[in-house]
Amino acid sequence: MSCRQGRVDQTMTSTDFRKTVPEPLAPIAFSVPGAFETKLDNGLRIVIVQDDRFPLVSYRLAFNWGDVNDPADEIGSTSAMASMLNEGTENYSSLQLADEIERLGAHISVHASDDFTVLSASTLSLYSSEILRLAGEIALRPTFPETELDLYRRNTVEHLRFQRSQPGFLANEQAARLVFGEHPYARVSPTAADIEKLTRQELSAAHSRTFRPNNATFIVVGDVDREALLSEINDLFGNWPKADVESGSLSGFADRSGRTLTIVDRPGSAQSNIVLANLAIERKNPDYFPILVMNQVLGAGASSRVFMNLREEKGYTYGAYTRIDAKKLGGDFEATAEVRTAVTGDSLKEFFYELNRIRDEAVPAEELKDAQNFLTGVFPLRAETQEGLTNLIVNQLLYDLPKDYLETYRRNIEAVTVEEVQRVAKEYVRPDEMAIVIVGDAKEIIRQVESYSDSIELFDTEGNPIEHPGQEAAAN
Amino acid sequence: MSEAFKLQPLEIEEYSLENGLRVVLNKDDAIPVVSVAVYYNVGSRNERPDRTGFAHLFEHMMFQGSENVPKAGHFQFIMKAGGTMNGTTSSERTNYYETLPANQLPLALWLESDRMRSLAVTQENLDNQREAVKEEKRLRYDNQPYGQIFDLINEMIYKNFANAHSTIGSMDHLDQASVEDVQEFFRIYYAPNNAVLVISGSFDVKTVQELVEKYFGDIPKQPLPPELDVSEPDEISNRYRQWEDKLAPFPAFLIGWKIPKRRAPEFNALYLAGKMLYDGDSSRLYQKLVKGDESVIQLFGFTDERRGPSSIFIGAIPKPDKDLSKIRDVIMHEIRDIAENGPDAREMQKVSNQLVNDSVRMRQSSMSRAQHIAEFALYDGDPKLINSELEELLAVTPDQIKAAVAKYLNTDNRALLDVVPAGKG
Repeated sequence: MSCRQGRVDQTMTSTDFRKTVPEPLAPIAFSVPGAFETKLDNGLRIVIVQDDRFPLVSYRLAFNWGDVNDPADEIGSTSAMASMLNEGTENYSSLQLADEIERLGAHISVHASDDFTVLSASTLSLYSSEILRLAGEIALRPTFPETELDLYRRNTVEHLRFQRSQPGFLANEQAARLVFGEHPYARVSPTAADIEKLTRQELSAAHSRTFRPNNATFIVVGDVDREALLSEINDLFGNWPKADVESGSLSGFADRSGRTLTIVDRPGSAQSNIVLANLAIERKNPDYFPILVMNQVLGAGASSRVFMNLREEKGYTYGAYTRIDAKKLGGDFEATAEVRTAVTGDSLKEFFYELNRIRDEAVPAEELKDAQNFLTGVFPLRAETQEGLTNLIVNQLLYDLPKDYLETYRRNIEAVTVEEVQRVAKEYVRPDEMAIVIVGDAKEIIRQVESYSDSIELFDTEGNPIEHPGQEAAAN
Repeated sequence: MSEAFKLQPLEIEEYSLENGLRVVLNKDDAIPVVSVAVYYNVGSRNERPDRTGFAHLFEHMMFQGSENVPKAGHFQFIMKAGGTMNGTTSSERTNYYETLPANQLPLALWLESDRMRSLAVTQENLDNQREAVKEEKRLRYDNQPYGQIFDLINEMIYKNFANAHSTIGSMDHLDQASVEDVQEFFRIYYAPNNAVLVISGSFDVKTVQELVEKYFGDIPKQPLPPELDVSEPDEISNRYRQWEDKLAPFPAFLIGWKIPKRRAPEFNALYLAGKMLYDGDSSRLYQKLVKGDESVIQLFGFTDERRGPSSIFIGAIPKPDKDLSKIRDVIMHEIRDIAENGPDAREMQKVSNQLVNDSVRMRQSSMSRAQHIAEFALYDGDPKLINSELEELLAVTPDQIKAAVAKYLNTDNRALLDVVPAGKG
């Protein structure tokens, strides 16, 4: 869609102004507030960003340690430890913690992802000291009560079963396995057996491996009195002993040479969930900005190419997208859509058409500019809420991005050229090496898609290989 | 607690154009961002019995171009300006909104006004969007475990067709829709005098007023749509339905009660009672069912706010082999306890703090402010209610909660939907 801009001439009638896109008003500058930074003697890094827009305070205690660091025979232990931290401490039971936090209208949770473990707390500034104290209690004095662990194990096992009814989960599970191979990123979720054998001792050990002040950053964003806050933080966390951070070695990613086709048979599915994936970049890769822009052109949004093609022109789907998932150590490029079963093959055809086009043809300058304008324009929108601003700051710190990362973000987007977009498309969008994963009714799908690969792997929804569609899984 | 806390009132300015378009401005310069929300007074409740799903199909049509904006140009223009946008449909209204860097406000007004005055309703657009809606239905309803239970229970709770039928509607009805049907729907419901325009964020008031007049001032008004009757009969009935769900891995159930309209004192009391029952890890039912009895995998509850009779739901996905009727007994026992004894002081304090927290957080984003203000303007005719909403809720007393729970929840007047997994094995 070309955007008709230009000067309005003298002969315009009263509604002619509608024929042209209005000029923007004068731009208003925006900058991310500066950060104050210091370190406690035990190595805990402290970052404070004053945000007086709302009577709110957000805390993050973030560790450079996550699910990938699970010992091989204790899969799921870091996530389980994180989830269990607010289920009991030396001075509070699980109910007392929930009751006290919610009585203040606040929120504290702990979550482990592949690369990081983060305690998040947010509160009205009125209760910032109380919530900080409770966050310290949860971080430093968890007890992992046996009864709570027992409940966690049983609930998580049921949750894992439930996940298997969700087609999106099944598609991601296969795609991660095919792209990341033996690396822990291949595991989107522990198994029921992993969870059932977790012990209290293992969680305690996971806690002491993860919660080391010298491997952590404490980030505060909000309406705070810095001096008072620093003294509170020192009281709560100053005596926390430092300890060496272990480092292990991780297996490499999958070595893929050709295209593969994997179908998860889900008889009765109304749709096919399609994921096309190949290995791409780690978060600090210098190609990050060109890839971000390339992905915006190709499929990140509702005005990107694959959405315009598969939804707006063809009506195959409610939404079709591509994404770049850049984690600390590596990541992937994915194209995804949920399409009606009868057009599964046609959808692959259109996906591959777009994936090849962005590699083979230079992106028109105007389309590139549109993608850049989107990425630079939405940036201040993401800082509108305190949570949004906090997330921007946390990501910069955790991924160890340059100090001026947020300040230079928009300039880096604007600097990407047509040539760079094509170069990174050729390098990181690899139609001939992709893992094609489809979750749906296999007997309806196979004939439509079999030409895309020499062989087809079939699985049931439990993740067991099967020989032909509709086959019951072997009992397990 | 919350007495120490005074919410800063939002700056609200309201006026109408000559064509009846109601305009509300909420100036807030905290960040150079602006949000525009256009709320049309049409939802699934306005649909004819042989044209269900129309309001929602129409929402899709609104992105298909207008006299000066090409098909799908709306997305493109907003995104290339660095904005985000969407539209949604409920029983009550259809809304369209965008958030942009503050200097791009003219773009949003140009786009919204062009489709309000000159939407392109063509056979090609209609056919294409029918398919997109069908995919949306497959994705969100047909291909999801438990995806259809809220539509099913609404049909059990409500007797009046306007309230009872689903927003996604019937695909047969959509197939029967003609271009003329869609054009007629547009003329009746998408008139300036049937809409509210809210602008929230960083702007100069005078500039905005001139822009609004320029873009919206000459769109002709239309006769207002016919009055709508959403009343429900008084009744005492205990409705039950069993639903076989091919995709559900576990049994589940959903209980729904019909309750008074939004903002009625009894609705507010029940909204607070709901928070005490199911909101958060320290809520009564979470502690009894997820913790104490360890009988459910997932517990959920919420209120569905409508201008007419509304509803409140509590549902659970129990663990395999658990006795569903025992779990329901626990729920009814807690409801009876509130009906007989009322909430305690600590529970009241907790809910007050949660309400204050919710209000502060809602005010952070220009889009959530615009949407809240638009609802008050459209439903209540008074956008300034955004500044008294919190006080209204904080004024609810334990006795009011006790009485409302006794009258509406501790009763046979409810619908129960049992979901039975019907997949293989």
